[in-house]
Amino acid sequence: MSLLELKDATIRFGGLIAVNTVSFAVEEGDLFGLIGPNGAGKTTCFNLITGVYKPTSGKILFKGQEVGGLAPNKIAEKGIARTFQNIRLFSSLSVLDNVVVGGFLRHKTGLLSALGYMPSAIKETEELRQQAMHWLEVMDLTDVAHHQSGDLPYGKQRRLEIARAMATNPDLLLLDEPAAGMNPQESEDLRATVRRLRDEFGRTVLLIEHDMKFVMNLCEKIVVLDHGEEIAQGGPAEVRNNPQVIAAYLGEPV
Amino acid sequence: MASSGRFWLIRLISCLLGIALCFGIQSVAHMLGNTYYERLIILAGLYVTLAVSLNLINGITGQFSIGHAAFYQVGAYAAGFISVHYMTQLHMGGYAWMFLMVVVGGIAAAITGFTVGLPSLRLRGDYLAIVTLGFGEIIRIIVQNSDALGGSYGMKDIPKDYAIWAVWLLAATCIATCRNLLRSAHGLSFLAVREDEVAALAMGVNITRVKVTAFVIGSMFAGAAGALLAMFEGFVSPPMFSMDTSFIILTMVVLGGTGSITGSVIAACFLSYLPEYLRTLQDANHQALMISGASIVAGILSALGSAALLKRMLEHASNLKGRLIATGSSIAVLIVAKLALTPLLTLVKPMAEKQIPAEQLRMVIFALTLIVIMLIRPSGILGRSEFSLDWLKRVFMPNRRMATEL
Repeated sequence: MSLLELKDATIRFGGLIAVNTVSFAVEEGDLFGLIGPNGAGKTTCFNLITGVYKPTSGKILFKGQEVGGLAPNKIAEKGIARTFQNIRLFSSLSVLDNVVVGGFLRHKTGLLSALGYMPSAIKETEELRQQAMHWLEVMDLTDVAHHQSGDLPYGKQRRLEIARAMATNPDLLLLDEPAAGMNPQESEDLRATVRRLRDEFGRTVLLIEHDMKFVMNLCEKIVVLDHGEEIAQGGPAEVRNNPQVIAAYLGEPV
Repeated sequence: MASSGRFWLIRLISCLLGIALCFGIQSVAHMLGNTYYERLIILAGLYVTLAVSLNLINGITGQFSIGHAAFYQVGAYAAGFISVHYMTQLHMGGYAWMFLMVVVGGIAAAITGFTVGLPSLRLRGDYLAIVTLGFGEIIRIIVQNSDALGGSYGMKDIPKDYAIWAVWLLAATCIATCRNLLRSAHGLSFLAVREDEVAALAMGVNITRVKVTAFVIGSMFAGAAGALLAMFEGFVSPPMFSMDTSFIILTMVVLGGTGSITGSVIAACFLSYLPEYLRTLQDANHQALMISGASIVAGILSALGSAALLKRMLEHASNLKGRLIATGSSIAVLIVAKLALTPLLTLVKPMAEKQIPAEQLRMVIFALTLIVIMLIRPSGILGRSEFSLDWLKRVFMPNRRMATEL
C-alpha cells in the first residue's frame, strides 16, 4: 500500500481545470518531486492533498484511507504536514513558539487545565518546547529561537516553516518550493537537511521546486505537470530526457 | 520542575494574595469614605473585566468583535430578571446569591457568545465587525421592546447587593484566566489563529473550536460583569448598553495595546477615571472655568504638535535618558506653544469672544487625550508586551540579563 495515492484527482474552478486526472503514488520513504512550469497546478495539487480544496472528482488516499475533502486540520492530524510557497509564519510570535504551535497538534491536556495553568498543562507546554527546540536544532535555528519569526532572513524563515511542519510529527512532509530565494550554499545545505529528514527520521517527502539542480540531485522519483495534466513520471534521468518535458519547459521546436 | 507540593503551595499563596489585593482595593475605597469613589472603583473593576475579556477575542484570537456591550447586557438582564422574580422564592441572599447570579449571568452570556461565535467561523475582519455590531444592536432593541424586561424604561427594583472585593475578584479571575491561557501551549494556538488562519489550519489547529472558545470565554466574563452591575445599580436599562459602551470597551483594548492584558487593565482604569477627573474642571469657588475659543484652539494645536514631536523623538531615543529628554522637551514645547499661540489667536475676534465653560469640554479633552496617545503609540500603550517579573528584571537590571544571555 502506498503512503499517498492520487487517483485521477481533478479540480475545476468554473471553466478552468486546474488539475486534470492526475495520478501518482508516493511510497513510504520516497523523496518525491513534483515539477512543472508556472501555473502547471503543482500548488493546487498540494492544496488538494492538504484539504484546502476539495477535489471535484477522483480520489486521494493516505495510508489507504480517503482524505479528499477532509478539513485541513483533520488531514494534519492524520500525518500530512506542509510548508507554503509564500511563507506563512506566525510572524509576530517567536521562532520557538511557531514550532510549539506545530507540536500542539499532539497535545493531550484539556483547555480547562490550561486555563487553570495546572501542573499537567505546564508539563506538557514544557515538553512541547523541548520537542520544538529539537526541531530547531535539526533545522539549525537554535541561535534565533527567541527572535520574532517575522524578523528572520528569508532563508531562515523557509527553514523555520520546515521545523514547524516537522513538529506536527508527520509521516508525509509536503514542501512547496523550499529552496526559493536561497543562495547556492543555503540550497545545498537545505538539500542535505531534507535528505536527513528521510534517512535519519524516516519521513517521506513530497516537494515542489523550480530549481532543477536541487530536484534532480535530491529526488528519486519525479512527476511532471503541465497545464494541470501529468506529462511524465519516473526517475530524474528519465524525466530529464523526456521530449514532452523538454517541450513544456523550453517550448516546441520550431 | 518543582515538586507538586511546592507547586500547590505557591498556587495557594498567589490565590490568597489575589484575594487580599481585592480586599485591599475595597478598604482603600472605604477609606476614601465617599460613595462617589466607591462607585468609580466598582465601575473601573467592571471595565477591567470587560476590556480584558474583549482582549481575549480581539487581541489574542484576532476576531474583530465590537459588540461586547451585548454580552454585558445579557448578563445584567439575566441576573436582574432572576433576582426580581425568584430571589424571595428561593430564600437565598447575600454572597451566595451574588455568586449564583454571577454564574447565571456568565452562562447566559456564554450561550449568547456561542451563537455570535458561529458566524465568525465564516467571516473575517471588518465583515465580522459588522455582524457583531449588528448583533449587539439586535439584543439591545429586543430588550427595549420586550415588556417582561421592562422595555425602554429598564428593569427596576433589582435587589441591591454589592461588594467591591467581588467586582475586583471577578476582574482578577478574568486576568488570571487569560494570563494562564497565554502561558500554556493552548494559548499559542489562539495566537496562531490571529496570526494566520491558513497556516494554523495546516498545523492542525482546530480554528473553529478556538474561535468559538474565545467568544464563549470572553462573553462569559462580560456577562458575569453585567450581573454584578445589575446588583450594584439595582436598575438596568437599554441605554446603559448602547453602542457607546461597546466602543469605549474597544477603545480600552486598542489604547492599551491589542493583545496585551496588562495594557487592557491600565487603559480600562485610565479611561474609567479620566472622564470623572475631568468633571472637576472648575475653579476654587465651584464655578465652571470659562475658557475662550482662542485658548482651546491653541491647546489643541499645541497638543497635537507636541505629540507628533514626541513620537518623532521617541523613535530616535535609544536609552532611558533620551526618552526622558524627549518627554521633557515635548512638554516644554507644549507649554510654550500654548502660551505663544493663545495671544496670537485672540487677534481673531470671534475666537476671543467665544466663552465656554471648561466642564462642557470634558468629552473633547477626553477624545483629544485618546488621539494624542494613539499618535504617540499607534500600537497602544503597551503594544503587545506584558507586565511580569521577568520584564521588571529586564528593565531594572539590563546588565544582568545581558550576562546570562551571553
